[in-house]
Order: sequence, then C-alpha cells, then structure tokens
Amino acid sequence: MQDELLRVRGLAKHFDSGTERVPVLSDIDLTLGGGGSLALMGRSGSGKSTLLNLLCGLEQPDAGVISVCGELFNGRQPRNGRGDSRRWADLRCRHIGVVFQEANLMPAMSLLDNVRLRAGLAGQDPDDCSAWLERLEIGELAGRYPDQVSGGQRQRAALAMVFAMQPALVLADEPTGSLDRHTADDVADELFRLQAKTGCALILATHDAELAARCEQRLDLAHTAPA
Amino acid sequence: MKLFAALLSHYRRHPLQLLALAAMMVVASALWTGVSHLTSQARASLGQSERAVAERAQVERVDGMPVTVADFVALRRAGHCVMPWLEVERPASTGRVVGIDPLAAACFGQPAESYRGWDQPLNGESFLDIREAKNLAAAGDGARATLSLLLSGPPGQPALPEAYRRAPFSLGPDTGELGESFLLNLDALGVLVLLITALLLRSVHQLGLAQRRDSFALLHRFGVPEPAVRRALVIEIVLLAAVCVVPGVALGRLLAGGLGSGFGQALESLFDVPLFAGQGSSWLTPVLTMMAVVLAVCLADQLHFSGRQVIRRLAGQGYRVTLLTLVAGLALAFVSSSLALTFVAIALVFAGAGVLAPGLISELARRCGRASAAPLTRWQCAEIGVLARRLALPLVALQFALAMVLAVQALVTVFEATFDDWLSQRLAADYFIEVPAGADSLAAADWLETQSPLAGSGRWHRVVRGRAILPAVDGWPGQTVDLFALGPVSNMLGTWRLQAAIDAPWEAFSRGQGIMVNEQLARRRQLSVGDSLTLALAGERWTAPVLAVYPDYGRPAGEVLIHAAQLPAGFRPDGESFAISPDTADLDAVTSGLKRVWQTETLSLRDNGRIRALADSVFEQTFLLTRSMTVLTLILAAMALLIMGWVFFTTRVWYYRLLAVWGMGPREVAGQLVRLSVTLTMSIAVLALPLGIWLTWALVHRVNPQAFGWSLPMAVYPEFWFELAGLSLIIGLSIAALMRRQLRQPAAMPVSASGLSGGER
Amino acid sequence: MRSRRIVAALLLLVAGCSEPPEQAGFAGLAESGQSPATVPFLQPEPGDRLTFPEDFGPHPQHRIEWWYLTANLETSGGEPLGLQWTQFRQTLEPRPPTQAPPPPSRWPLQAAWKAHGAVSWTGQHRFAEKLARGDVGHAGATAEPFEVWLDDWQLTSEGGSDAWRLQVSAADWSYDLSLRVQGEPVAHGEAGFSAKSASGEGSMYFSLVDIAIEGTVTVDGQTLSVRGKGWFDREWSSQLLKAGQQGWDWFALHLDSGDKLMAFRLREGEGGFVSGTWIPAAGEPVALGPGDLMLTPGSLRGDMPTRWRLQVPDYGVDLSVKAPPGDYRNRGQFPYWESPVSVTGSHSGEGYMELTGYGGE
Repeated sequence: MQDELLRVRGLAKHFDSGTERVPVLSDIDLTLGGGGSLALMGRSGSGKSTLLNLLCGLEQPDAGVISVCGELFNGRQPRNGRGDSRRWADLRCRHIGVVFQEANLMPAMSLLDNVRLRAGLAGQDPDDCSAWLERLEIGELAGRYPDQVSGGQRQRAALAMVFAMQPALVLADEPTGSLDRHTADDVADELFRLQAKTGCALILATHDAELAARCEQRLDLAHTAPA
Repeated sequence: MKLFAALLSHYRRHPLQLLALAAMMVVASALWTGVSHLTSQARASLGQSERAVAERAQVERVDGMPVTVADFVALRRAGHCVMPWLEVERPASTGRVVGIDPLAAACFGQPAESYRGWDQPLNGESFLDIREAKNLAAAGDGARATLSLLLSGPPGQPALPEAYRRAPFSLGPDTGELGESFLLNLDALGVLVLLITALLLRSVHQLGLAQRRDSFALLHRFGVPEPAVRRALVIEIVLLAAVCVVPGVALGRLLAGGLGSGFGQALESLFDVPLFAGQGSSWLTPVLTMMAVVLAVCLADQLHFSGRQVIRRLAGQGYRVTLLTLVAGLALAFVSSSLALTFVAIALVFAGAGVLAPGLISELARRCGRASAAPLTRWQCAEIGVLARRLALPLVALQFALAMVLAVQALVTVFEATFDDWLSQRLAADYFIEVPAGADSLAAADWLETQSPLAGSGRWHRVVRGRAILPAVDGWPGQTVDLFALGPVSNMLGTWRLQAAIDAPWEAFSRGQGIMVNEQLARRRQLSVGDSLTLALAGERWTAPVLAVYPDYGRPAGEVLIHAAQLPAGFRPDGESFAISPDTADLDAVTSGLKRVWQTETLSLRDNGRIRALADSVFEQTFLLTRSMTVLTLILAAMALLIMGWVFFTTRVWYYRLLAVWGMGPREVAGQLVRLSVTLTMSIAVLALPLGIWLTWALVHRVNPQAFGWSLPMAVYPEFWFELAGLSLIIGLSIAALMRRQLRQPAAMPVSASGLSGGER
Repeated sequence: MRSRRIVAALLLLVAGCSEPPEQAGFAGLAESGQSPATVPFLQPEPGDRLTFPEDFGPHPQHRIEWWYLTANLETSGGEPLGLQWTQFRQTLEPRPPTQAPPPPSRWPLQAAWKAHGAVSWTGQHRFAEKLARGDVGHAGATAEPFEVWLDDWQLTSEGGSDAWRLQVSAADWSYDLSLRVQGEPVAHGEAGFSAKSASGEGSMYFSLVDIAIEGTVTVDGQTLSVRGKGWFDREWSSQLLKAGQQGWDWFALHLDSGDKLMAFRLREGEGGFVSGTWIPAAGEPVALGPGDLMLTPGSLRGDMPTRWRLQVPDYGVDLSVKAPPGDYRNRGQFPYWESPVSVTGSHSGEGYMELTGYGGE
C-alpha cells in the first residue's frame, strides 16, 4: 500500500424524517492508500450512497473527521463550513471523480463534448479527450449524444470523463447497476483496468459480491449500521 | 372509474401540476374575459355617447343677440321642442353648474331613458333645476350665466321661425372616428390575447401530459386500451375546464368592472353624456369561448383529425415552410387592400414568427456552441438550445405578449400624440371667437390688424368654414367637400404637421399659389403634392395645385384648405370665427373691441385651454387602462414561463447538480443558471422587438387606413424597449432564482436517460 | 342638495314614476304632507261661491285644477268622433291670487302645467301629453280674455266670451275647433262646492254643458270636417281624494231629450261616494246626493268596467252606458280611461266617461 490518501474517523450521519431522527451512518472508520480499492457493501438504504456523498463533500457529516488528498475536514467544527465547501469543490473538480449508476452525462452534448467539459473543468487538456474515448473503445461514437448510445456505452463514456480528469480518487456508486451481466462485466473490467493503469484509488459501492471481491478492501455497512 | 382514479392519482402525488394547470385556466379566462368585456363595454358606451351627441343642436338668434327666456317661450309657443340649458360659470373652487328644465326636456324623447342620471354630477359639473342654477348666478360671487336653447329633432323639421337658426351644440371635442379606431385596435389586441392564452394553456397542459406519460405506459401495460385512457383524459380536461373557466370569467368581469368604470368615466367626460349601466357582453359568450379554447388546445392531440398529418409533414419541411409563411404574411400586409386580408397577414406573420423564434434561438445556440472551443460555453449553448425547444410554447407566448405590449405602447403613445396634434390643429389658438351672423368679419380683421400687440404678430387668423364642390373631372365623380379657409396665415399654423408638402408650403399658401387637402381627400382622389384640383366655389370654377396634404384625424369628410383672400365675393360661409392667441394682448380688450366693431352685446368665446385639459385627462385615463391590460397579459406570460421553467427544471435538476459534483461551487452553478435563463428571455425580447414594431406598423399604417381612411403617424419609442428589456431581465432572474431554490434540495437520479426525465437534448 | 332633490322630484314627475296610490293618491290629488312654503294651500269648503269671470282663470293657492273639454262629434260622413282636451295646473308653491308670480327670467317653479289631448275615431284612440313649468310664459291661463295654453296648444276666446277656438296638434293628429258656448255655467253640488266624500272634502266645480262645436280634425294627414256638442268642466281643489279613495268613475251625458246628467263615484273599498247633477232641458239643475243616484258597473274589458247602469229614480232615468269597441286609455304619466259612450235605456244619448285609478292601467 502506498501513502495514505483517505482517512476517515468516527464519521456519523443521520436524516430527519419528520420529527424522528434516523441514524444512517455511525462511527465509520476507514483508511485507503493511493492506488488502493475499497468495496462498500450493504443493502439498499444501508448508507452506501450517503457515505460516498460524505467522502466527496456533497453532504456534510454530523460528526467525524475526513482527511482526503491532503485536506482535512473536521465535522465537529461546522463554523468552517464555507471554506470547507470551497475546498471540497476544488477536490471534486481536480482530484475526486464520481461515477453514478446512470445519467453521468449532460444530455445535450455529444460524448466527446461531455468528456471535454469534465476534463476542462479539471484543468486538463481537452484535446486528449478523444484519446480517452478511443481507449474505452467508443472513439467512433464521439459525436453521438447520450440518448443515441447504449447504457454500457454511456457508462464507458462516464469512465472516460472521470479518468480524463486524472483523478486521485474515484467514487463509483453502483456503476454497473443498470447494465446486463455481460455489459456490466465489460464496464467493470474497464474500471479496474484504468484504475490500475492510472494508479488512482477507487471506492466502489455495490451489492454485487463478485465485483466487491475484486477490491482490495471491503467495508460492509450492514455490520456497521446501527441496528 | 378505477381508471379515472388511477389517472388522478398522478395529481395526488403532484398537486402542484394540477394547480398550475387550473391556475393557468383561471387566469387565462380572466384575462381574456377582462379584455373582451372591456372592449364591448367601451363599444357600447361609445355608441350611446355618439348617438346622444349626434342629436345635440341649439337655436341661435339670427341677429346675434343671446337667447333669452322670451325666445324660449316664443319657440315653444311656435311648437318647437327646445329646452333651456343654463351654464353657470362660478369661481374655480365652486365649479360649473348647468341648469336644465326637466319639464321642457320631456319632448326630447322618452324622458325616462334620455334623462336618467341628469341629477348626477358629470365631468365635475352638477345638473340642477334651472331655477336653482339661475339663483346661483344671481347670487353674484363672480358667477356668469349663459343660456342656450337645445333643439330636438332632425335639421329642418319643423322649420324654425325666421329670427332663429339651428347651430350645433357641443361642449366637448367630438373625437369622431378616433374612438372607433381605438376600439378596433383594442379588438385586434383581444384576439392576440386569446392566442397568447391558448398558447400558454397548451404549453402547461402538454407539460402535464409529458410528465404523466410513464403512468400512461404503465396503464397500457396493465391492459387498459389506449382509447379508454384518451376518453378519461378528455373527461378530465372537460371537468377541469368546467370548474376553472367560470371563476376565471367571473374574475375577468370583476377586473373589467374595476377598470371599466374608469373607461366609462373617460368616455362620459369626453362626450358630456351620462353612461348607462355597463352593457358588457353576457356571461355566455366568454364562458363558451374560453371553454372552446381550453378544449381545443388541450384536446387537439387527442382527436384524430386528418390535418395533423399535414401539419406534421409541413413541420418536417421545417424552416422553409415557416419562412414562407412569414414572408407571405409580410408581403400580404404590404399589398392587402382589405381589412380581412390584413388581419390574415397579421395572423400569418405571427404564426411564422412564433414557429421561427424558438427554432432560431436554438439554431443560433447550436452555431455559437460549434464555433466555441471552450467546453463550458458549448454546454451553455447546448442547454439554451434545449430550453428554447422545450419551453417553445411559453417562450412564444412571452414573445407575443412582449410584441403586443410594445405595439400597444407605441399605439397608445401615437394615439395620444395624434390626439394632441389633432387638438393643436383644431385648437391652434388659445381662443376661438365666433363671428356673429351678419357681422362683418373683414372689418374685424382690419380692426385686429391695427391692434398693437396683435398687429403683424401672427397671433391670429380668420377661419371660414363652408362647402365646396369638386366638379366631375377625369373620371372622378363630382362631390361636395368641406371648405376651410384661413387668412392671414398666422404663426400658429406652423405647428401643423403636414404629411407631404412642397418646400415652404405656408409661404406659397399665403401668396395664394395653391391649396392644401386633407389626407382623406388625398387618399380618396389619389392626390399628391403638385397635382391640380378644380374647385367650384359660389359658382366659380378655379384650379389650383396641391401644396400639401395635412392629416385630419377622425373625420370621414374630405376637406380643402384655401387662403381666405381667395374666397369669391359670393361665397356664403357656414360659419366664421377668429382664432386668437392674444399672448401679451389683453383678451378683454380684444373682445370688447370686437363687440364694438360688430355692434353686438355678446360674443361666443371658446377657451381652448379648458377643452384641451379636459380631453387630455380623458385620454390619459383611457390609455392607462389599455396599458394595464397589456401589462397583465405580459405578467400572465411571464407567470406561465415561470411555471414551465420551474417544472422543466425539476426534471433537469439532476444535470445541473452534476456541475456541482464536477466541482463547481454553488455560486458558480447559480451563475450558470442565471446566464441561461436571462439569455433565453433576453433573446425572446430581442426577437419580440421586430415583431412588435411590425405589429405597430400594421395597425397604424394598414389596419387604420383600411378601416377609416386615414393613417396614424408611425413612431417607435426606444426608451420603452429598454423598459421591456428590463422586464425580460427580471423574468429571467426570477426563473433562475426559482431554479436555484430547487438545486438546494437533493435531486433524485433520473431512472433513465430518456427524454421524458430531463434528459432532453 | 335641496336643488338636487327638486330635480329628482321633477324627474319623477316627468318619468311618470308615480308613488304608490296609498301615499300620493291618483295623480297626486290627495294631500301629501305639509308644504314648505309659508303661504298655505286653500281648501274649498261648503259655502264657497263661484265668481265669474275670475274662476275661468287659475287658482294659484289651490294644489290642483283643470280645464276640461270633452266632445261628441260627428264627421261629415256620419261617423262618431270623440275628442278630449285637458290642461292641468299643479301648484308646487302656493301664492295668493293677488300676488304676481316671479319674473320669467328667474325660471320660477311655483307650478307645473300638463296638457292632454286625445282623438277617438273608428275604434282608434290617439293621445298626447305635454309638460311645462308655470310662470315662464309658454304655459298659462287667463280669465280675461279667456285663454289657456301650453306651447302651441291653446284654447282662446274669440270676439265675445261665448266664442272660443281650440287648437291642438300632436305628431300624427291635430284639431282646430270653433266652440260656441250656450247657456250659463252649471254649478255642481252646493253652489259650486262639490263634495267628494261624506266627511266634507271636496272641490269647486262648474261646467258649461251645452257647447256647439265645428271644425276640422286631422288624423294621419286626413282632414275631417266635424260638428257636434261639447262639455266643458272647471274644477279646482287642494284635496280631491281623501285617504283610502282609489279613483273615480265620472260621466257627462247629453240625452236626446235635451236633459244632461253629470255623475261620479269616488271608489273606496267595495262602495264609494256617489254624486251628480241632473240638468233638465228646462229648469234649474238639481244636485244629486248619494241617495238619489245609483251607479252600477257592468262587464269588464280587461280591468276596466266599460258598461254601466245609471239610475236616477226621481226623474225616471235608468240608463245603460257603454264605451265603443277599442282601448281608450290615455297612456301618459298617470294612465286613465277617457272614452266617448253611447246611452240607451229610458233615454238615448251620448257622452263621455272617465275611469281612473284602476290597477290594470
């Protein structure tokens, strides 16, 4: 394992449902080195997506400390909120790539323009973007719009977008969840291949045990979740 | 019933969508009802006023002396239906009162109808019994009483005794066709408002259908046949329309009632005639119209009409057809010779412009995106393209509303200016002094020329009115026209705006080198400057070149203006007066001098300042009303765009959140949204501008001449464009603010990337 | 504010929006409240006497008065033609007869004038109404020379006091008649005081019952020569109807025997107050009290009793009176029935009938 990229201590999150306080995550600890991979397991509603959102700053924890890519975020010091959101935005912009199960692409733009937009925001050279599509074997679809290609091709394009930004950490939330088995395997292969090649860290939320098994570490939220 | 419940369950989950559709129906019904109610009410009022005014005539003594009670008695005993009208001028604080004799008025017609409300204060004046009015006058306090004898019945029946003659009796300026023209334009705008409301209704309804397509698909999978779903939808919309249209119409009537009383008052003061209870259209017409519109726009897709295929095929032809429509409309407006064709042309242009506008915005966005290398710019352009296509209907409605507001503003301002011009022309001087019958006007002119402040000042002229005959020549039939003779040419005429003229027309006119004609005559006889016109005056024929064509609003009659010096000796005028702006000269000195010259006790003196002030205030009220109606339309269009924008963004909010996932700060995302919506509304405003200007032109230069034979001057008001641009900016910012609120809520990931879930492109 | 109210009141007068009869009585003939003027209205009383020629002129201190001519004429073709002319004067502010009215230039409003004219011929009835304010000059009446006028309608004496001329013209009809008055004025009731109720209210009332008429009547452009006889009434009071009286039925009959009969009934509930005058061809007129005279309505035409039985048992009079076919309502501000009648029974003859205050009018 290389240098430590991500360290989480005592992370907790709840939601308010009416007057009721529903705990979702509590006392989560995890550590991930650069180039490492972690599978988040658990049933629907166990908090996988919430944890991913916390790890990229799209949601704020109730408690706990997150240290990622050299930035420290202390959930117990909320007064720092504004500065935190700026730092999180910077991290997401340049270092943390996120892949969702669906709808990772802007619908009104071609696949290539989508990749260029994402790379451009990350400060990468947009001219390299075609190469990323080629690498993901959808080079000939560069001019197509998202609704003109298959689900698998869309997820490949989403991977191209994420890797074109040259991320340090990729958060993937059920990236193959809406694909058929065969396509899902292809996309997963690409994901792990590119992760290995670029040396970024990967956190993969999934309930596919086979997929989870391909990760170095595994965190089962069913075990950590409060009863 | 179960099916119906299933369909309605959508609204249980999305009550706001139902509310939006219902609100749109209510507001649209209210708006259109308001406009049409107002128009019909105004029309009814105007008609009544004009009828009442048309009957007003008075009796004057041939010897020029003021009429007295004895004249009243003599005329009544001779069997003439006259009634006394005693105007008592009092100091400003107490105001003017008019004394009448209701018993004498009984012969003027059905008293219960003609004189209802005469005890109401009118135009700031009160009607009193003539005895009370006389007592007020006799009480002193600087009050001055003038008795007139109003005459009933058509001219010449029965013949007046020799010592008397009939004369028109009018207190307010007679606007003639100006009011009619205004109403016609109001009608045209009513149709536009109907079109706009139809567009808005359709857009909101279409949106609702799109959002429910998944439920329809589900029902279909459960084995519910498609016609059954369609039937249920028809029932649903009929029920909704039934529930919403009636309160909408009621609201509209309420609105029109509030505003309409203003309009009524305006006309009332203008014509000095009490208006009777509002006689707007019935309930049935607006309710049925709105029901028809709602059903037509909402159910057009449900019905299998063969035209749909044609329209689809035409739509496939895209811009060629649209462009063709637009060009055809523009061309037709130029060449059309009838009112109906002009309205067809306006419809074509609006149809073309309406289809073209969103397409144009989206095409421009596409080109701009392609031209840019910056990925973010390309995204913005792509999004604007999507927005323009998806919000096409409300955008077009906004465009029409903006164009309409623009046209109405220009029209109203033009009407105001025109009316002002018309007043300036008719009331060029501060005072008109009637030449009493039998008095020597030339002697008075000579006398005026010797009065030091007036001599050579160009502050007065003599006005002679009469009739001239245009003999049949060159295939034109002979006709009688109004004759208007002036002399000397005073400075006051310099304010006349001439439509066409030779160089220095008034100089040539004062040298007697030609005549001027009014626009109506010029149009009718196809006369232009330099043409010759032959006149027969008092049996003498003479031919003179046309030096200028002057506008003469609101009158159907043709008129020839000649220099008074050219009147043949045998010419018998209908009336003569002096127009005087005494300026520094003492008016009392002038009038007492003229009384001496004419050896008369009384002079009929008209203070044009007062007439003008009255007319101005009247029109201000009327125009304010029209403006407020159009602004309401604009607000409705903006509201529709807001609702549509809001609903559309609800489906698309996930994609805007992607920007945040990709590292854009909340402010930056909000900034992008502002840029998008403002660009959109501003482009629509820009596209509405030429449409609005064209509509102004069409109303002013095509519709009005075709309807009335005279044109209004065309004018544009760029400062108002900026106001509208500001308004569009506010609409854009409001949409962005609404969208930003939505971004704060966590967004659900779309279940599929299909077009119906916000994945449109 | 006061002037506003006066205009409104005048408008009511003009518009014919009469108040309910309980309050104002027919044509405002009942006393309605106290006059604001300091000069009181005079009320005729038993013992009041007629004075001639003054009583042909106006009575400015009485509330209401009229000059009333009805005529039963015949055209040169032998068709019967009925004719009415009435001029009413209503005092708004009473004034002693000795006092001059305000000058016309002040547009005084102490009185209002109203004139009615009607022609009944071949079953058709034409009516016109005119209004005027008093003392301005276009409407008025004088005793000497005798003249009554409103606008271009006028009754004037020509030459002597027994030769009159009546000119009336409306939109589609007119008449121009010469009247020759024969006989002396007949004073009704008690030397001219005609009681209108058992409790003593009444009016001053006299008639000229023998007037020979000839002249022309023009209807729709057709000019007819007419001749026949007329009946002229003068009556004034400040209260004709007492509270509860709904209207009256009045008859003036020329019997072929040369006798004349005037009879009226003021209706009150089912019954009413009946009075009349028997004017024999020779001899003095006899006042008929409630016990001397019976008036019985017969069949109705719409709401109007157009057939009557008149009985004066003392003089062997038992008459059947009926209106010719047609509708003879004068549809003015205050509608009423005014028609010629034919008389059969113990005597034959002709005359005029006036029916007022019926609901259906």
